[in-house]
Amino acid sequence: MSHMMKLAATVSVLTLAQAAFSAASAENLKVVASFSIIADFAKNVGGNRVDITTLVGPNGDAHVYEPKPADAAAVGEADIVLVNGLQFEGFLQRLVEASGTKAPIVELTKGGEVLPNAEEEHHHDHDEAAEGEHEHEHEHAAGEDHDHEGESHEHADAHGHHHHGEFDPHAWQSVHNAEVYVKNIADAFCAADAAGCDTYKANAEAYGEQLETLETEIEATIAEIPEDKRTIITSHDAFGYFQHEYGLKFLAPEGISTESEASAADVAALITQVKEDKAAAIFVENITNPRLIEQIANETGLKVGGTLYSDALSDESGPAATYIDMMRHNLTTIKGAVLGS
Amino acid sequence: MKTSLATTNALALVLALTATNVASAEEVTAWRLFVSDHAEPKVTVVDAVDGTTLETLPIKAPASLYRSDSGRTVFAVQGSAGTVTALSSGIAFEDHGDHGDIDIEAAKLLGVEITGEKPSHFVEHDGQFAAFFDGEGIARIFSERDVLKGPADVREVKSSAPHHGVVIPFGNYDIVSEPNPDDSSKPPAGVRILDHDGKQIGDGVECVGLHGEAASGNLVALGGCADGILIARSGSDAPVVEPLSFTEGLPDGRVSTLIGGRGLQYFLGNYGTDRIVLIDPTAHSAAFRLIDLPTRRVHFAVDPIRAKFAYVFTEDGQLHQVDVVRGAITNSIKLTEPYSMDGHWSDPRPRVAVAGHRIIVTDPLKSALHFVDAESFQKAGELAVEGKPSNIVSVGGSGETHED
Repeated sequence: MSHMMKLAATVSVLTLAQAAFSAASAENLKVVASFSIIADFAKNVGGNRVDITTLVGPNGDAHVYEPKPADAAAVGEADIVLVNGLQFEGFLQRLVEASGTKAPIVELTKGGEVLPNAEEEHHHDHDEAAEGEHEHEHEHAAGEDHDHEGESHEHADAHGHHHHGEFDPHAWQSVHNAEVYVKNIADAFCAADAAGCDTYKANAEAYGEQLETLETEIEATIAEIPEDKRTIITSHDAFGYFQHEYGLKFLAPEGISTESEASAADVAALITQVKEDKAAAIFVENITNPRLIEQIANETGLKVGGTLYSDALSDESGPAATYIDMMRHNLTTIKGAVLGS
Repeated sequence: MKTSLATTNALALVLALTATNVASAEEVTAWRLFVSDHAEPKVTVVDAVDGTTLETLPIKAPASLYRSDSGRTVFAVQGSAGTVTALSSGIAFEDHGDHGDIDIEAAKLLGVEITGEKPSHFVEHDGQFAAFFDGEGIARIFSERDVLKGPADVREVKSSAPHHGVVIPFGNYDIVSEPNPDDSSKPPAGVRILDHDGKQIGDGVECVGLHGEAASGNLVALGGCADGILIARSGSDAPVVEPLSFTEGLPDGRVSTLIGGRGLQYFLGNYGTDRIVLIDPTAHSAAFRLIDLPTRRVHFAVDPIRAKFAYVFTEDGQLHQVDVVRGAITNSIKLTEPYSMDGHWSDPRPRVAVAGHRIIVTDPLKSALHFVDAESFQKAGELAVEGKPSNIVSVGGSGETHED
């Protein structure tokens, strides 16, 4: 694990405001989870003692998520805000500022083993000006509201975009790290609700056993895949931890964020690499547009092997409604496509 | 120009050696205001940091102003002169990952004019500008890069008839307003999606009364429909345009003027004359929240830095701070004499812009700009500007400069 590093305790996007709140025993903890996978962890730990609001829901892409005023209101009313950290939630700081929350912002990757971001993105981070107005003059047309002065065509700018940092944020793709997330959630819930601490710890332990079983399954399944069929193509670099832990090689046209589209040169280079590395299978992701993958599939002769769930769960009716289901679905889908290829 | 900024000098050019970069790197804050005149063909460029006039740029007619997303360009749409004039703001940012550089030079006319009959709606989307010319029913589309390098390459998108319309460039497609089939002088009846060969994709989307558009994040809203607004978003290929209907129980009204939130995704629209409406484009219920104003709305603007706030100026001369999370007015301050909304729609009236820590309100009848501190919501001075300062946009921010 030479290129793996322990996340220093000081790596924190936001100050952890350890607000001295006390959850009334009769009331559930109000928990905001930044995206669906964290919400699933929180549900497993919190059980019926917590009420969870999920910001980026099933099949949502946190990389490009635009928080709504209602999200700010939810964060403002929360007792705990659970986030991934590692700058996965590019929207977080402005959302927290807008919310005025005093709740602790708990980064669940703390204490986990994190991988460096191999291709750190470079984004500008300066203040942007107020928006131009959409005012114009024209002849008065009967019946029209000619109060044009307020019209505006405004756009997200640097404030609205996701700046990835020096680490790959997709740490949940390692089940070991998922166990760290769960422990951090239990600790946070205990700090907020001492009366429920035994329950949270028991829930976390029971769920942890399920995660260990999952890990064993993954390792056994990967072992069935021949060494020369372990190169996989996906949309964006979301599976670095899976690669590191379990021995598959993932290539993707997009980097660790879906925010920036792959360039034509990136795609051409990938196609060349796919041919050289004899990739075994190619997959779309549930959070990304499938067109680019379909194009690469056409140009390389690979058949799209299905949908992998990378940064979000499916909805309840889908095959990846929980974290464990998601990992099992991905595993089954990869194995099926590779061994069928 | 008389300068009487009370506290603006406190902002005066910040030169701070950064501890993390090379010794020659300096952090610089610069804000410029571009102010058009209600009667004269000019754009006055004001240094918002020290309150001085930097340039007065001649154009052909009184103009409405628009700034680009990047802030590098400002456009003066001169309806009576049939011209859209491109200006360089003189402020540009360059991203270097761990920091941003700011380049500052003089604002100037770029020598690029897009001409046609009755330019009206001016839109930027997907890195493309679209100036719609009502008198021809044509939008002329061009990029900032082309504008900056000289006479611009222009692509034309034709609607089916001259009308008061709009075109929104959307990747390889355009969202094009559809004139009222019975009388094209009436507001449009909806939109169509065309590819760059002019071929229609799918069915048109009805929106009788279409007027007003704004973007927030990855969504575009089009207003004016009798029963709500339209929301456009990226699809798997072509954009998808869908209606967002008014919430049941709303009083009669129409949203014909829109601005889009920055930092938070929402739209703010008019709803009648003395209400505004907060729109959550993704809400399954209660997508429209009304906020009553004390008097009729004159103008509004979102705060691109303090995402939870927008500002509304009303005809009683007050500027109101709107908390878009709470959906309520949280502060008000009297800035000008009353500006009645009676009279002609184009009478000179105040406009609002935000530049860094300042909210600026033009006061055309007093030849002044009023500054309000965005944090304290207290008056922060005023600045005399010759003529009738009307439309205003701001460009600026902070970045590093390097001596080496």
